[in-house]
Amino acid sequence: MATERREVVEAGGRSGRLWLAPIALLYLIALIAPISFFLVMSVFRYSALELWVPTVTGENFARLLGDAYHRAIIVRTLKIALLTTIGCLALGYPLAWYLARTASAWRGLLMFLVIAPLMTGVIVRTYGWIVLLGSEGTINTILRGLGLVDRPLKILHTELAVLIALVHILLPYMVFPLFAALAGQDPDLERAAHTLGAGRARTFLEVTLPLSRPGILMGSALVFTLTAGAVVTPALMGGKDVRMLGQTIYELTMSTLNWPLASAVAFVLVLCQFAILLVYFRSGRRRAA
Amino acid sequence: MPRDVRVATTAVERRAPVVAAVPGTGRTGRLALGAAVTAIYVFLLAPVAIIVFSSFNPTEANTFPPTGLSLRWYAKFFESAGFVAAFRFSLWLALVAAVAATAIGFLTAYGLVRCWRRGPGVVQSLAMLPMMVPHLLISISLLLALMVVPVPELAALIVGHVLICLPFAIACIVASLEGIDAQLELAALTLGASRLRALWEVVIPLVAPGFLSALLFTFMVSFGDVYIALFLSGPGRTTLPIEIFAYMQWESTPVVAAITTVQILLIIGLGLVIERLVGLRNIMRV
Amino acid sequence: MAKTILELQGVVKRYGATLGVGPVDVDVREGEFLTLLGPSGCGKTTTLHVVAGLLFPDQGRVVLGARDITRLDPQNRDMGLVFQNYALFPHKTVFDNVAFGLRMRRTPRAEIAGRVRRVLDMVGLPGVEARLPGQLSGGQRQRVALARALVIEPTVLLLDEPLSNLDAVLRKRMRLDLRELQQHLGIATIFVTHDQDEAFEISDRVVLLNRGRVEQVGTPEELYDDPATRFAAEFIGETNLIEGVVAAAAGAIVTVDTSVGARYEAFAPGRSLRGGDPVYVMIRPERIDLVPERPAGGVAMPATVSKRVFAGDVITFELRTEHGLLLRCSKPSVAEYRALAPGAPVWAVVRDCRALPRDGDGEA
Repeated sequence: MATERREVVEAGGRSGRLWLAPIALLYLIALIAPISFFLVMSVFRYSALELWVPTVTGENFARLLGDAYHRAIIVRTLKIALLTTIGCLALGYPLAWYLARTASAWRGLLMFLVIAPLMTGVIVRTYGWIVLLGSEGTINTILRGLGLVDRPLKILHTELAVLIALVHILLPYMVFPLFAALAGQDPDLERAAHTLGAGRARTFLEVTLPLSRPGILMGSALVFTLTAGAVVTPALMGGKDVRMLGQTIYELTMSTLNWPLASAVAFVLVLCQFAILLVYFRSGRRRAA
Repeated sequence: MPRDVRVATTAVERRAPVVAAVPGTGRTGRLALGAAVTAIYVFLLAPVAIIVFSSFNPTEANTFPPTGLSLRWYAKFFESAGFVAAFRFSLWLALVAAVAATAIGFLTAYGLVRCWRRGPGVVQSLAMLPMMVPHLLISISLLLALMVVPVPELAALIVGHVLICLPFAIACIVASLEGIDAQLELAALTLGASRLRALWEVVIPLVAPGFLSALLFTFMVSFGDVYIALFLSGPGRTTLPIEIFAYMQWESTPVVAAITTVQILLIIGLGLVIERLVGLRNIMRV
Repeated sequence: MAKTILELQGVVKRYGATLGVGPVDVDVREGEFLTLLGPSGCGKTTTLHVVAGLLFPDQGRVVLGARDITRLDPQNRDMGLVFQNYALFPHKTVFDNVAFGLRMRRTPRAEIAGRVRRVLDMVGLPGVEARLPGQLSGGQRQRVALARALVIEPTVLLLDEPLSNLDAVLRKRMRLDLRELQQHLGIATIFVTHDQDEAFEISDRVVLLNRGRVEQVGTPEELYDDPATRFAAEFIGETNLIEGVVAAAAGAIVTVDTSVGARYEAFAPGRSLRGGDPVYVMIRPERIDLVPERPAGGVAMPATVSKRVFAGDVITFELRTEHGLLLRCSKPSVAEYRALAPGAPVWAVVRDCRALPRDGDGEA
């Protein structure tokens, strides 16, 4: 089969790069250039009159990293991102495993049900959680109805609320890479482990789990990215009490109009991402080798 | 296209993705898993279900269960020029973004699968770049670019949506393409077809499910986007999520729930159409 | 001698630093059934794909008739290629599959229908036009692939191990059908296989390849009787190889002193061997006579039967000579040979043998 693959490379390879030209161009012009431009602003000076003054300065980063308030936000964002990732993994793995291994005729529908909520948009799903978790909301109504609490629990406007909502919203993004990784596994591998005497737990730990690692990494990278950059959900679920980097950027850009500082915040965000991605790629490569 | 085509897509043996009934799990194990999965689905769908139910609430409060049954919020939605316009705009935008992303996604996927076998990992990861960048950042950067380059804002909005949709389109089409025997194109060539003809006659019909799933996913991603539209919307160019967001700053009535329910009906409709055409099973292969 | 239709001149194809195949110098004659034979990885499929235009060689030329088609695109080469996995378009009916090539050539619709039906009749598949490939058996798919390649009336027919995916019984039957069809159509054909029996049964000439190099080109008889190298001798049928050195050479007959002490008069056609050259003495198993007593003339060795394998129509013996040499001998399954049991003493008479050149280290 290697011959065939080489041939198609031969036959199509002469113009191979041509196929990727459109996307390369698009990414360069619309993604890489603008973002680089924006990030560069982090070293420019803020001015109330213009958006930025092209003098190089480190004051934005100094402010960002020196200020306890901002540092707390960075830490909180990372913390919530990590917890959300773990939460998505904990819930997403069983789901993905089930979807990948079941023979049920409803499989297509079940998978559709996982991604369908994506379309309703972040705002609406967050709204659903507001209804659920608000002081007049469902949970509280049930709890009070059952006589478990006297006054409504304050769930909204806490980190927990943000966490729950984020896990819910980002779960599909974790399920899909996991599903792809698990479904792509040769079912004979598990059977082989069984015939060699490994119990279910053992098989899972030694065969299935390690092989699904690329899926775990991809899903985690995705969820982490999306959490770190979240604005709407933390704003609606956490309010003033739970501020994260995303909201900070939004406010700095739209209200305060301090673009250089916003850029610095974004830079820190991107830096954390790169760190995560680096881990992802390194592990992936080590596995491949 | 007949359904059983899917079965014979490749002459090369494909490994079966599905194992007969969750294997190696005893009774209790299976029950536990079933319970867990059900619970997770409840978690996933509960908020959505609640929204649907509360859309029928006759009063203005966000309570659940609803105190009665009323369609007044649906009426309010359809009467509201702002919401209706935003809904139509979102539909249009999602369609445009989906088609564009699928088209570019196909070109990219074909290049990746047929011409880049040596280092698929790196190049494919690069294709997924927008997924690794917070949408917020993409949006702000495009806004910034607008200040420098005189491009209509609508174009920037569309481009932004295409960017965030592309990784999904590429993933769907790559998955579909990989399942197609490379020799089929070679066979067409030896029979006298030009490269383009071979693509049209052989590849495209067989990637059709991939196209459909790409269109579906990208449509959904675009329709549900908030962050790109957050910075790039404008008068006459507001997407539905943004309109809802703005509304929710001032009021919080079940109108939002009604709009969401309509959206959900739309998705279900899409899902049904796909099921009829190709079968949902065949789509969900990402 | 028939006209040459296609020629490969010094064709070399490399994959990076590894040699894919080459240099290949082969001509295909009008109406000929030429087989590229060799173990997997020997470059036979690569060669075929160079002929088809799916690969361009690094060196050498491919000449069709008078045209140099080395760099011509596959769609313009007028050849029919049948793939190992058939490569039938799964979304098109049998009719559309077969008609594909004709459509690419802009054949008028009315003509297409007639030609498709005729060729399907010819390969023995009338009436399956409306079916999809997924609804056919392996053998049927193979024939559709063949029909698809034939209907365009190509100058050369290329077959890439078309029978490999069939079960043994079907395979045997189809190879004969294939040969009959080819002869009926008189179309020059290049056939690729790793199965030596198959190659011998149906080919006019065979090109034997090994690890990218051409070992020998010739008719099946030539390859069997006079293998050019050790690889050829061992790949084709069973053989005995004894190491030795040329003692004297007189034309095509050389005298060889072997390491086991015996001396043979071996036939070495077309090879210029001289005294001192290292050679193998090659003896085919059926060229050894077994007699109960020492014969009058000829080279005879006393030996004992050490093993005996009954294979229905043939009995294979392993003989241990007085020098400790182990020889394979095959005899028809008749009474006198059936009676020979392990341990029985016999005299082995070598009727004729060949001398093959040997590398110093005895490389295959």
